[in-house]
Amino acid sequence: MTMTVTTPPAPARGGLTDRQKDIVQKFAALGSLLVLIVVFSLSSGAFFTVNNGMTIALQVTSIALLGIGATCVIITGGIDLSVGSVLALSGVIAALAVKELGMPVPFAMMFGILTGAFCGLVNGILVTRLRLPPFIATLGMMLIARGVALQITGARAISGLGESFGVLGNGALFRVVTIADDGFPTVVFPGIPYPVILMAVIAVAVSLMLNRSVLGRHIYAVGSNSEAARLSGVDVAGVTRFTYVLSGALAGLTGCVLMSRLVTAQPNEGVMYELDAIASAVIGGTSLIGGVGTISGTFIGSFVIGILRNGLNMNGVSAFTQQIIIGLVILLTVWIDQLRNRK
Amino acid sequence: MPSGTIADGRIDARPARAAGETLLSLENICKEFPGVKALQGVHFNLRRGEVHAVCGENGAGKSTLMKIISGVYAPTSGRLVYKGQPCSFASPLEAEAVGIAIIHQELNLIPHLSVAENIYLAREPRRGFFVDRKALRANAKACLDRLGVAIDPDRLVRELSVAQCQMVEIAKALSLDAQVLIMDEPTSSLTEQETRLLFKVIHDLRASGVGIVYISHRLDEMAEIVDRVTVLRDGRYIATDDFAATNVDAIVARMVGRSLEEKFPERNSRPTTDVILSARGLTRHRVFQDIDFDLFRGEILGFAGLMGAGRTEVARAIFGADALDAGTVSLEGRVLDIRSPRDAIKAGLAYLSEDRKAQGLAVKMPVDANMTLANMEAVSNRFGVIDFTRHAEVAKEYIDLLSIKTPSPDQPVRLLSGGNQQKIIIGKWLFRQSRVLIFDEPTRGIDVGAKFAIYQIMDELAAKGIGVILISSELPEILGMTDRVAVFHHGRIAGVLETAATSQEEIMHFASGYGRPAGHG
Repeated sequence: MTMTVTTPPAPARGGLTDRQKDIVQKFAALGSLLVLIVVFSLSSGAFFTVNNGMTIALQVTSIALLGIGATCVIITGGIDLSVGSVLALSGVIAALAVKELGMPVPFAMMFGILTGAFCGLVNGILVTRLRLPPFIATLGMMLIARGVALQITGARAISGLGESFGVLGNGALFRVVTIADDGFPTVVFPGIPYPVILMAVIAVAVSLMLNRSVLGRHIYAVGSNSEAARLSGVDVAGVTRFTYVLSGALAGLTGCVLMSRLVTAQPNEGVMYELDAIASAVIGGTSLIGGVGTISGTFIGSFVIGILRNGLNMNGVSAFTQQIIIGLVILLTVWIDQLRNRK
Repeated sequence: MPSGTIADGRIDARPARAAGETLLSLENICKEFPGVKALQGVHFNLRRGEVHAVCGENGAGKSTLMKIISGVYAPTSGRLVYKGQPCSFASPLEAEAVGIAIIHQELNLIPHLSVAENIYLAREPRRGFFVDRKALRANAKACLDRLGVAIDPDRLVRELSVAQCQMVEIAKALSLDAQVLIMDEPTSSLTEQETRLLFKVIHDLRASGVGIVYISHRLDEMAEIVDRVTVLRDGRYIATDDFAATNVDAIVARMVGRSLEEKFPERNSRPTTDVILSARGLTRHRVFQDIDFDLFRGEILGFAGLMGAGRTEVARAIFGADALDAGTVSLEGRVLDIRSPRDAIKAGLAYLSEDRKAQGLAVKMPVDANMTLANMEAVSNRFGVIDFTRHAEVAKEYIDLLSIKTPSPDQPVRLLSGGNQQKIIIGKWLFRQSRVLIFDEPTRGIDVGAKFAIYQIMDELAAKGIGVILISSELPEILGMTDRVAVFHHGRIAGVLETAATSQEEIMHFASGYGRPAGHG
């Protein structure tokens, strides 16, 4: 086997290798994030403070958690439109478990997360067994989960859940409070909110899963070429189902976090969150065709959206204008992505 | 572009009368991409009414040259003269406008539109705001009639065979009044019969004065239609000859830059009498019936037959990619229960698909990831965490073993040549320690030198005691590489022949369903 006849293939044109282009893309997203931070810091004094940083991080958690699930699904070439509804259903179930069944809060929330995972499993089965297009399967689930959440609550918010229900969403680690001479407490350091810790841990875990594990490798392989993956012995249906279950479970977790923050379960919570999740993945360089995407990119993407919202709020930009701006940002980043992929 | 130029003293009238005159010439063409010299000093000229083949290995610069002719790229330096006038095309549309059309290997038709709509896409005859359907249909019919093919202009393209689609592409080119027609690997997915029809059309086009640039890896079939042949190697011009004055061996020698004494390596492996894989009564309704065969350890068994005879289908079913309705497959005497490719792989079977890009490779993923994809357990711990040191060692080992040309193990495989892609797939199955390898058209679209390397690998596998099945539509390949050949006809094995004692004619006889020809034992 020493034939050396074939000439080496020409490298990618345009001077940059794919890897370099990926780095450029990532830095472009990170760069725009930094630009946003600088601009908002200059335009609003309250923006660049520890307190507001924690507020943003807290706001970003829901987008990021959903975005992480969305990224995995999108890498396989799918899409999950149901997460906004699933998070509402999961949160409502958790609340009902506390209120009606008298479950302890941790078990109730676990129950909520399982509800989300179950919805994801149904999505996965619809996609792999019934071979429905992911868009349709999860669109159906989006309507069904929302409908069930509204039905079982009679469209009313569930309150009176007790203080312990609010710990996950409102508690913080390393919170430093001193009691001043006048007897009033002063917050020296607001602490790191539990949801932020949760988000960081999950982002790292899923990122490791994608990059370092066999399962992650299989997820990319399915998205890159599912038939080749199948003929290489990859359990394509199982891998695909797993991503929907993960997305559903993360939606369930997000639901618990959100309801816990309000200490109230709202069946109308999370409307259109799926779009933020997908947008954060796409801004972070995940390709809707499948096979491409990273958690770090999605993380940056969710911060771009979160910081835009927060910064625009602080500068008194109306909610309507905010929508316009975020819409433009999504179009711009995907356009840049297209430029990157053009031959 | 004025069409009445008097460049060389001859009036450019209708093509038929001006056969032999130079239509297009490229002089000293160079094309550089950042870091790569794709073409250096290439010459090429095309006369009216000739079929001019361009030959070269993958990466020799054929497609770059075609892209320059058809206006996709502008040359870095050099001159392009069309009908006696120097010109440069800013886009494929400009080239098309003056009569240079290209038919790509991957056909560019829209499946959900009709034949007529495809031919006149974006040039629909109109009546006011609306498409003039009558004129559209009549014009399309005229184009198809001129080719002498019977395709209903109202049929949807998705209902057509590949060969028919090709005819539609040609009709489209003619409707543009193309005088230069570039055909890239037109026969690669055609059956014998369809190839005949295509050649007839090419003959007619040539007679009407169209200049045809013909690119193909299948040198054997060129003798029938090619007038002249230009050989490129490593982006350089090697020679242009009259086809009648040369032969296939000389062309191959020029392409690879050395003389290939034989197209096939010496077989070192010898089949044993030890059955490794045995199939009994395999049936998939309406696809194949009662397939029985034994594969011996160290043997290369050929699957020959016409397209659609069931060879690929049997291989896919053995591998668990499609379901079997009846029959058993046993490996080393043990009956296998295969329900999916996973089961087959676990048992030690491997199938190398005929369509590398669609079924063999995760093309966006790098070389190393593709190499280990079928055997991730061997490069990970029991928790499913990948051991990247081991992963890199494995990738390097097989890249070296198979002489895979890649700038690095993390190069996405889509950027590699067909031969190297095929070697990656082979590496994948070698690493999996497969005991039976089924190669489905392993050398399709691969250049001569890489083919030789693939044959050598097959021989070495057999020598190691692996059972090899070679599915091939190229009879010389079957005769050159196999020990025995199972000839398929209409979903059945018509006969199993000793390769040493058979001939192309005998195989064709069996493949066509006539059984053993008269005069043979």
